[in-house]
Amino acid sequence: MSLSRAKVRKPSWLSGGFDLRSVLLEGRAFFALIVILVVFSVLSPNYLTVSNLLVMSQHVALYAILAIGMLYVVLNGGIDLSVGSTVGLSGVIAGFLLQGVDLPGDVRAFPSVWVTVVCVMAVGALVGLVNGVLVSRYKVAPFVATLGILYAARGAALLIAKGATYPNLQGFSEFANTGFNRVGFDKILGLPTGVIVMVVLAAVASVVLNKTAFGRWLYASGGNERAAELSGIPVKKVKVRVYVFSGLCASIAGVILTSELTSANPTSGETYELTAIAAVVIGGASLMGGSGNIRGTLLGAFVIGFLADGLIIVGVSEYWQMVFKGVVIVLAVVLNTIQYSPRRRARTDRPAGGEPTMQDSKTLVATSER
Amino acid sequence: MRRTIASIALVVALIPLAACSSTNTNSSGTAKTSEAASSNKNILLITNSLGEEYWTASANAVKAEGQKLGYTVTVTSHNGDNKKESELVDAAIATKPAAVLLDPANADGSIGAVQKLVDAKIPVFIVNAEINKEGLAKAQLVSDNAQGAALGAQQFAKELGGKGTYVQLNGPSSDNNAIARANGFKSVLSQYPDLKNVQTQSIPWDTTVGRNTTQSMLQAHPGVNAVLASGDGFAVGAVAALLQAGEAGKIKVGGFDGSPQAVKYVKAGYMFYTVLQPVVEFSAKAVDEADQYLKTGKTGADAEKQLFNCTLITPANANKYTGPYTLSQ
Repeated sequence: MSLSRAKVRKPSWLSGGFDLRSVLLEGRAFFALIVILVVFSVLSPNYLTVSNLLVMSQHVALYAILAIGMLYVVLNGGIDLSVGSTVGLSGVIAGFLLQGVDLPGDVRAFPSVWVTVVCVMAVGALVGLVNGVLVSRYKVAPFVATLGILYAARGAALLIAKGATYPNLQGFSEFANTGFNRVGFDKILGLPTGVIVMVVLAAVASVVLNKTAFGRWLYASGGNERAAELSGIPVKKVKVRVYVFSGLCASIAGVILTSELTSANPTSGETYELTAIAAVVIGGASLMGGSGNIRGTLLGAFVIGFLADGLIIVGVSEYWQMVFKGVVIVLAVVLNTIQYSPRRRARTDRPAGGEPTMQDSKTLVATSER
Repeated sequence: MRRTIASIALVVALIPLAACSSTNTNSSGTAKTSEAASSNKNILLITNSLGEEYWTASANAVKAEGQKLGYTVTVTSHNGDNKKESELVDAAIATKPAAVLLDPANADGSIGAVQKLVDAKIPVFIVNAEINKEGLAKAQLVSDNAQGAALGAQQFAKELGGKGTYVQLNGPSSDNNAIARANGFKSVLSQYPDLKNVQTQSIPWDTTVGRNTTQSMLQAHPGVNAVLASGDGFAVGAVAALLQAGEAGKIKVGGFDGSPQAVKYVKAGYMFYTVLQPVVEFSAKAVDEADQYLKTGKTGADAEKQLFNCTLITPANANKYTGPYTLSQ
């Protein structure tokens, strides 16, 4: 491939060249958050208080945990629509176990709180495993596979709960299964438990993505799966593991939410998957796979959460809230498209002679693999 | 040529047969249907969402009463979706139950579905929510939402001594029941000028949304005295928000529906009251009226639209709550 011989024409209206624009694009979630904080604190004196920030962070934490799992799946080029149902199913499993389980032989088992949490997480991981196997081994499209599991998991939750809510999650002291409040309801060092879990999970997920081999495999298989496979990366294993991780995150979010609400409702979590996807997209990840990071995803979750709560504080009607949320998501997707569009670079890099450059061939290979 | 004449003759011969069967149904229609009906012991309940305790309670009441009267009850749900409701109605017409009990997805949108059943000669009994057209269903049995809301609002005003500030949670504006309750609240509470509504939000009947919205409203209006909710789904979420803020018991909630969780909170002192919807009562009554209609051709009620009174559940009578949506005497 020969180098470009023609002069690259920079747009004259950006004297800084391409850089300022890309800085704005990359940092768009951050700037959006700043704008939201400024606008709402001007509109209401109660917005930027410590107690409100804690309350809003508690709401954000739930979606952020879901979004971290969703990011892994999206980085792999997939999507996980079942996380909302897994949230509901996790709550129901927790409720079911905390009531006491009737075993054969006239025995009633009361698993303690930590056992309950582990069981719930195992169920979440199992749901993720089913998704992962469907997508990797049976080559079902992720949208279709996880959509089917969305219905199956929701149905399972309703069946187990028999359509009712589990109200008694406090446990019985004589059976040593009290303490469920510590899973989400209580505060740790003044911060809601959900927020602490979100921070820890984000830190771990970020380290895995940036510092481990698995992280490199994930980015590689998302960017170009065929090339990654040929380089010796176990793409099937990576695929299964990201769905398991997503299911695990969903069950963690579900059990925290159940603890916060002090009741387990089989219908909880409906449409949460869409908010998780929106957070990932606003954070700058590409739905095609291969690009995105934890920082952006967290920012995306905060943007959605702070915007939604701000609209309630200001007293906007629920219809306008929906419009705002939709506009923000669409804007984010449009900006994503601008950021990841190959046309811009290709046009400015292409030499006058018309010989393809490295950029062009990468685009060609990438598009042909989809 | 001969074959053509023969086939035409065959077709002509068959025409009276076709006319015959349809005239049979028309002329001796009532006799035939009631014969079929008394031997047809299948009742179909198309309810809203089997994922909510309220509708599960309704379905259980229908099943129990149906079994008592010797019917087999099948239950399906449309989850508030008109299209799903329409499909379930088509399936129902194919299976030909003796009667259909329907909880309509929408007061206007479900009229078409009811019409289909009426055209298929299946008697329809509407439960829990109305449709905006009379003369189609044999009976419409619903809670008196306006009366229930007024009952709740009066208790709310009484508990607050007629003064203070409150925030209000309404159901979705697309739900007629939500609108009826909001109007009921307004008609009573507007008579107390010292009782100020500082914010109202219309939200889905969901616990988490109720919790989140209440938390945000508490942030926007610190020092508010109480929360008025028009549904126990989000009333329970409001209590969760207050529990976490450490204000439960100081700031109390008024609810509507009579769900088990809400009654639990009434007993614990976190909710002033909840308004019990007579869902068990009118679901069972719908089966009774269907049975009466199938046996005698009349439901036994004096009007199509029948409103059933709601009951207030306060700490005083909360111990009479013996099962989901059931207040014993």
